[in-house]
Amino acid sequence: MAVIEVEGLTKRFSNLLAVDHVNFTVEQGNIVGFLGPNGAGKTTTLRMVLDLVAPTEGRATINGRRYRDLPTPLNVVGAALESSNAYPGRTARNHLRIEALLGHAPLARVDEVLDLVDLTDAADRRVGKFSLGMRQRLSLATALLCDPEILILDEPANGLDPEGVHWLRQLLRRLASEGRTVLVSSHILSEVAQTVDSVVILDHGRLIAQSTLADLTASANQVVRVRSPRAEDLAVALAGQGATVSLVGPDWLEITGASNEQIGALAAERAVPIFESITEAADLEDIFLRLTADAERSEMAR
Amino acid sequence: MIRLIRTELAKLQTMRLTYGLIITAAALTALFSSLENSKAGSNGSYVPPISSAAGLSRVTTVTGFAMLLAAVLGAIVANGEFRHSSATLTYLATPKRARVLTAKAVAAAGVGSIFGLVAGIIATGVGLIFVAAHGDHVALGAGTLIAHVAGAVLGAALLGALGVGIGSLIRSQLATVIGIFVWAIVIESIVGGLFLSLRPYLPYTAATTMAGAKLGNAAFGPAHGLSGGGPPPFIAVAALITTLATAISFLAARTTVRGDIT
Repeated sequence: MAVIEVEGLTKRFSNLLAVDHVNFTVEQGNIVGFLGPNGAGKTTTLRMVLDLVAPTEGRATINGRRYRDLPTPLNVVGAALESSNAYPGRTARNHLRIEALLGHAPLARVDEVLDLVDLTDAADRRVGKFSLGMRQRLSLATALLCDPEILILDEPANGLDPEGVHWLRQLLRRLASEGRTVLVSSHILSEVAQTVDSVVILDHGRLIAQSTLADLTASANQVVRVRSPRAEDLAVALAGQGATVSLVGPDWLEITGASNEQIGALAAERAVPIFESITEAADLEDIFLRLTADAERSEMAR
Repeated sequence: MIRLIRTELAKLQTMRLTYGLIITAAALTALFSSLENSKAGSNGSYVPPISSAAGLSRVTTVTGFAMLLAAVLGAIVANGEFRHSSATLTYLATPKRARVLTAKAVAAAGVGSIFGLVAGIIATGVGLIFVAAHGDHVALGAGTLIAHVAGAVLGAALLGALGVGIGSLIRSQLATVIGIFVWAIVIESIVGGLFLSLRPYLPYTAATTMAGAKLGNAAFGPAHGLSGGGPPPFIAVAALITTLATAISFLAARTTVRGDIT
């Protein structure tokens, strides 16, 4: 069941088309990576989903309703959209107490989420004195305060050190194990690749892919490197089958568009000896970069 | 709505600015009240002797600065949310933004009334201390003095709510704060001085008359003490400022408050 549905969502700021007819869904219990380079329109899209930004066209619903029509929105959706949205003169504990009051959460929950994000020791310090990483943790604590079933996190790893990124991955896994739905944005696929079930990729305001990670990897062209004393003959034969082949060294070919099995069968058929064959697994980051680069080329061609 | 108002009050309670402004209001009231008392009855002074009802009324109603600071607090309550990006959290919790604006106005009025109460008590206290020091009799009845304090409470509360409307309409905190002082100190003084018939209806001047100040007593510069005309009835002034606060808040709700939170 889709808990978040985005249909034709579009946002124009004066002359800038920030989001262009984006459609995607997020299924219940999934962790979805919302990816794209900086300026792709991710934050604007998330803010439209949360009714903070009015769409120029299209609509977004959560559990079939617009965000503003949810009776107690904080109990349904927890959002961490930026690291510095707490009043700097307030302590972390007071900040969360106010949010708890707004979201009908028991005050005991404040200590629970402070503990969850490892901020118990800093609970009575003013937020203005926090580091960026601590503010990110406080933002996550705020999102989790009312125990929502859906979490929308915008670049939560920003400002976190490697230890913090590791902690975030563990937190996301834990949230997933609790059956929550998470939509987490990032401009770096590797930050979320170990955690997400599927990805939605945006670039220049347009949706360029929505897929599971497995499908995304499968859809990518594998690169096979082959060493043969008759590399040129094999290259001609493979090119004839539609593969892309380049000679990358003495006796070495680099082939895309043909599987290892297809290459082996063709070589056997033409009696071409193969001394060595290496299949390079498609790197997710490369796929992501290629997809966004393709989108950039299309944009320039328009 | 009660929960929203409680939240806004909790926000004010956990802001150092709230206490700073109340202390400033108290200090300025004590200072100006003392200055007025010390000048009262002296040669060439525009302040009548404090042994007279007019003199005592004048020195015990120096509560205008506290009212202005209540308006400043109201404005900061509204547009401080944008300065610190906390509007994102506020509107995530309460997507119906007009409700937030209403809760802020009620909370600012509540805290604004404390400004008026503190200023009213200090101005009255300072005045009575000077009267006692001079060995004069108290020329005003307790009922009148209490009415002045109550007027200061209501006037500051209404200006606090008005400040929320202004702060919601103009997102720049600096521009709003400067604007409030320029309006009260410069514009009302000029307009009130030039057009005496308009003066009773200028919001800051009108609010000070609720606390018992005579028209012109709260003005700055050449318009200070300029006599002419009387204030409208208390209830009419309250209605005037309430209407103005509602109109500005309504305009804000239809424009800036609806704006994108990016």
